[in-house]
Amino acid sequence: MDFIITFLNGLSLGGVYALIALGYTMVYGIAKMLNFAHGDIIMVGGYVLFVFVGLTGEPILAIILAAFLCMLIGISMEKAAYKPLRGASPLAVLITAIGVSYFLQSLAQIIFGAAPKFVVIADLGTITLGSLVIPVYSIVTLVVSILIMIGLSLFIKFTKTGRAMIAVSEDKAAAQIMGINVNNIITVTFLIGSFLAAIASVFYLLKAPNISPTFGSKPGIKAFTAAVIGGIGSIPGAMLGGFLLGIVEVFSNSVPQIAPYTDAIEFLILIIILLVRPTGILGKKRREKV
Amino acid sequence: MKNLFKKVAMVVAVTMLAVFTVSMSGCGKKNTEFVIGLSGPLTGPAAVYGLAVKNSAQMAVDEINEAGGLGGYKFKLVAVDDQHDASKVSTNYATLMKEGMQASLGCVTTKPGLEFKKLSKEDNVFFMTPSATADAIPEYDNGYQMCFADTKQGTYSANYVNDNVTVSNNKIGVLYNSQDDYSKGIYQNFKAQLASKFTLVEASFTEDNPTDLSSQVELLKDCEFIFLPIYYTPASVFMTAAKGKVSANTVYFGCDGLDGIDTAIQGFDINTIPQEVSYLSHFNSQSPTGAAAEYISKYTTKYGKDTLNQFGASAYDCVYAIYGAMKKAYDKDNSKVTPNTSASDMCELLKAEIKGGYTFSGVTGTNVTWDASGYVNKAAVKYVVKAKSE
Repeated sequence: MDFIITFLNGLSLGGVYALIALGYTMVYGIAKMLNFAHGDIIMVGGYVLFVFVGLTGEPILAIILAAFLCMLIGISMEKAAYKPLRGASPLAVLITAIGVSYFLQSLAQIIFGAAPKFVVIADLGTITLGSLVIPVYSIVTLVVSILIMIGLSLFIKFTKTGRAMIAVSEDKAAAQIMGINVNNIITVTFLIGSFLAAIASVFYLLKAPNISPTFGSKPGIKAFTAAVIGGIGSIPGAMLGGFLLGIVEVFSNSVPQIAPYTDAIEFLILIIILLVRPTGILGKKRREKV
Repeated sequence: MKNLFKKVAMVVAVTMLAVFTVSMSGCGKKNTEFVIGLSGPLTGPAAVYGLAVKNSAQMAVDEINEAGGLGGYKFKLVAVDDQHDASKVSTNYATLMKEGMQASLGCVTTKPGLEFKKLSKEDNVFFMTPSATADAIPEYDNGYQMCFADTKQGTYSANYVNDNVTVSNNKIGVLYNSQDDYSKGIYQNFKAQLASKFTLVEASFTEDNPTDLSSQVELLKDCEFIFLPIYYTPASVFMTAAKGKVSANTVYFGCDGLDGIDTAIQGFDINTIPQEVSYLSHFNSQSPTGAAAEYISKYTTKYGKDTLNQFGASAYDCVYAIYGAMKKAYDKDNSKVTPNTSASDMCELLKAEIKGGYTFSGVTGTNVTWDASGYVNKAAVKYVVKAKSE
């Protein structure tokens, strides 16, 4: 019985990791950069929810506003910090991303202070199935994240923009020659990534309703790990990596003797996978031409 | 040949410059005030504690100065930011020494505090930490604590449970942060001291702000008494996640880290938690009377409620305790206690006073004394933050 609940909790945490990992993996696949500020978009989403749930008392409205503002910040971040560096060395972009991350964290601390804020979006309670007491948020998280992933896959496969995204990720120069506006595609990617991060912040706050300026860094690192495990650049890989990491985390937390080593176990999995399959589970092998 | 000469000349010049600069910084500065140093997390995730300490220590210093200081000299507080990061402490310590630190509050949090302990030992600088609770903090004889050391909190709590708690299934739950020395220290001592009639159900997490505690709730859901030696932020997350899973009759019981759970988290309403929430501490942030109430009203008028917690109250007491011991030494021989007394001489004077039966009464306790190891002796206060909801 405990096993079922733990498994469900793992899937729901994994769903959240997968959503965030998608943001990392899509940006990497299309813009060929690691957006380390991605985790902090979750934090921004959390604070927007904090402000608007407090102001309006309307969770749905607050979620829509959070998604909207996260997307706005996502594209402004891209336009202001990353676009001028298009063509610069990957290292410069990486350092910029870390800078943006610190900028967002410090900004949040200046505006909201260092003390954590508590955000109750909605108290969903629990449902009882026989002897199982299941928290509703984990079901909601799992179902919604799976729906979003299906939607995203359909979007990428069947829309013009989605196919353009695949084209850009496969060969930027060729895509440009074929008339695809690469800059627009990158903007759309950041838009989608930030939307997913906003949704992830909702799920996080349903689970642990606490928000602080550094709130996004740990989930960010975990989701990045998930993206690398799954194969960075690969969308199904990010989902797989997210679920895998979520389940491992919840299960190792549920054994008291192993719990202190949860993080170590997760990163050990990363190391092993990188040793066995350097491109991740579903990552494409690239042949270097000399 | 000419080139070699040039190189040698350069080396000599640079060395001279370095020697000159060092000697300048060494003796150039003369204090005009008594300088008390402090390193704490003024930014970052633990800033709420660092700011409370800095604000309160400054408040005490201002009050002492308004009352005339000591021997006509004023006091000055120098606070530097360590972001709860032990690697920043050595730079901070150097800055403080440069500023002429004569006595110190050490570090606010334990990990940086362990670093500070080593550095201050070399120069023999007296420190009394308001809130670094690790047992190892007062290891050397220049270090003192105003807070209970972890051992005492874990032991006091276990003794309380052994004597007062009855649970139908004999299960006592504990949730601790396995990457935090504070939390782990209390947990280990609690475990060691807990009577064998109880079965200890353990759960742990690994982050300062955990984002998922679902497995921990599953582990602890059958316990009627859950010990929470953690800070209030993760505690609020746990209590929220445990709603509907843990019985409303369960008692949550923590240590001083839970102080502020009802006031310091903006947006968190403790009354939405059905269970009883209580903790063992030395400062009651809702104290209606006495020195504590006076401190609370002064602090909140000046700095608001956001950072009101026991860390600050303890820091306020540290400054007064250091001042009190200095005053005693001054009354005995006023030529020895001046702003230019070296840190090491000051340390010896303060130690002699404290070992010679100095007692202190303040916000966090009355008739406070220190034992030979530097641990504080004072009464623990059991404080129920919120009774069980009816």
